[in-house]
Amino acid sequence: MTWLTWRQFRTQALIGIGLAAVVAAVFLATRGSLLAMARDSGYTGCTADCDKLASQFLRQVEGSIYGRLLFNGSVLLYLTPALIGLFWGAPLVARELETGTHRLVWNQTVSRQRWLGVKLGAIGLASVVVAGLMSWAFTAWASPIDRAGGWIQPENFTVRGVVPMGYAAFAFVAGVAIGMVMRRTVAAMAVTLVVVAAAIFLSMTFLRPHLVPQTTLQGTLTAESIGGISLSREDPNRVIRVEADAPVRNAWVLSNTVITTSGDLFRGPYDPAKCGPDATGGRDSCAQWIASQDLKQKVIYLGPEKFWPLQWRELGVFLVLSALLAIFCFWWIRRRVA
Amino acid sequence: MTSVVVTEGLTKRYGRRPALADCTLDIPAGHVVGLVGPNGAGKSTLLQLICGLLRPSAGRLSVLGGEPASGSARLGFVAQDTPVYSGLSVEEHLRFGAHLNPSWDDQLAHERVDRLGLDPKQKAGKLSGGQRAQLALTVAIAKRPDLLLLDEPVAALDPLARREFLQGLMEYVAESGTSVVMSSHLVADLERVCDYLIVLVRSRVRVAGEVEELLATHHRLTGPRIDPEALGPGRAVVHARHTDVQSTLVVRSSAPIEDPAFSVDGIDLEDLVLAYMSEAAESGRDRVLEKQR
Repeated sequence: MTWLTWRQFRTQALIGIGLAAVVAAVFLATRGSLLAMARDSGYTGCTADCDKLASQFLRQVEGSIYGRLLFNGSVLLYLTPALIGLFWGAPLVARELETGTHRLVWNQTVSRQRWLGVKLGAIGLASVVVAGLMSWAFTAWASPIDRAGGWIQPENFTVRGVVPMGYAAFAFVAGVAIGMVMRRTVAAMAVTLVVVAAAIFLSMTFLRPHLVPQTTLQGTLTAESIGGISLSREDPNRVIRVEADAPVRNAWVLSNTVITTSGDLFRGPYDPAKCGPDATGGRDSCAQWIASQDLKQKVIYLGPEKFWPLQWRELGVFLVLSALLAIFCFWWIRRRVA
Repeated sequence: MTSVVVTEGLTKRYGRRPALADCTLDIPAGHVVGLVGPNGAGKSTLLQLICGLLRPSAGRLSVLGGEPASGSARLGFVAQDTPVYSGLSVEEHLRFGAHLNPSWDDQLAHERVDRLGLDPKQKAGKLSGGQRAQLALTVAIAKRPDLLLLDEPVAALDPLARREFLQGLMEYVAESGTSVVMSSHLVADLERVCDYLIVLVRSRVRVAGEVEELLATHHRLTGPRIDPEALGPGRAVVHARHTDVQSTLVVRSSAPIEDPAFSVDGIDLEDLVLAYMSEAAESGRDRVLEKQR
């Protein structure tokens, strides 16, 4: 069974692991010069003005080859699980069913469960290794950028650390299960793409914020921390919206609101003498007036120190999902497939 | 005599449509069994039930004295359209067999490939239909099964490849004594090799028995027009065709028919099968005839 699995998978395995090795090599090779750039910019080891130096460094990265590497690496890591599900997962059983070769192989002296078990185990492991290798190299490479710009923000978090391995395992097993149920390789590939993209998106937006305890910060709203003010001139209710700058650096801000002492969202009404088109003092007097209203800024966020606990938990969720799908595959191949 | 396959009321439904209905059979060991019926009669379903690829919806099935299970060492199966891995070479198919079957007879496999003149390096996808079927058969028999199942193995082959395939099969059976069940929708394919016949039409078994016995107990009667019911006891009319003045009947009777009103002829296997097929196609009622033992 090992021989057969290797014989049928070797081309894809070599392509996948070869590509991952090349990608990893590129990032590991350019890691030193990126670190040097961070040092030269004065950001690494800074003692004062760190925020300014960090954004300077990030701007410098954006304009250099590293900006393109960062973008391409992210895209590649977003695509990896989908590609694994499409090309390794979906055809695994579907192609056998399509060509009728399942009737050949399942009539050798090997049970279907064992056949599926070896294939799921070996290729699932290869999926995790490929995603893990790329993610490890990319995460290590991007560490100076992440220290300056944050790594817990969802678009970065998804392509860092250990979660790509969970996505890869999930995408592979989902592809296998979908192919097994649909029995058509191409259709199964299309559905797998949708399912994998949806799963990662849903996890990013709905699941991830709740996997670790959120931090809530409340502080007095000052005129300096006001970021944006919007109001409507014709509104008889004189509704005003106030946005405040986030006081925490490199965090994933889940909500940032301005509230009154009773805890409600501040909506006005504004004083037409201070704010709005008829006021004479301009923006400053409006901001002063808002600050005098005894308002509080309430920020709910996940700080960068939550990165690893969150990574492990999301990995766990996807590994559990993969295991459930694998159990379904074993059940289906016993009961329904012929 | 031991039986290789025993079924009792075996039924397989896909949704509500029965692919095989209430099939009761007892296939004795040591035979080459022909399973004949039109396309869609349920032949593939029966074979896949026997080899454990499908699970019955109802009824009992025992294969080689046990529950059928795919992955059994004692069963060889050549599926419809003789699937092989197109990306694997002939040699790799033999390695495939050797790796996946503890009972693999490597010498037999290589001898067969040599004798057939297959190039071991050739990809199976580039073989002709006949060569592919031969390769699939080689993989199935090198496993040294006690029961070999073949699902329409020659349906897609040209007459020469057909003859070669059946010849190879017969040589192996003569040498090994393996029991074989082989399906086809053409009686001509089976006539040459089978000594036991099962006729399956529209998901039901119409007749089953040893070929010699079937031929001895079926008669063609030609005579004046007669109501088939009036033929008397012990004589079952399989098929009747009437003109205004004349009736042609195919009758099953264990005793010889000596009726001066009719001219009684023997019947060949093809006509016998056709009689059962057209009877099933014409009559609404489903007559199931079993071999009386």
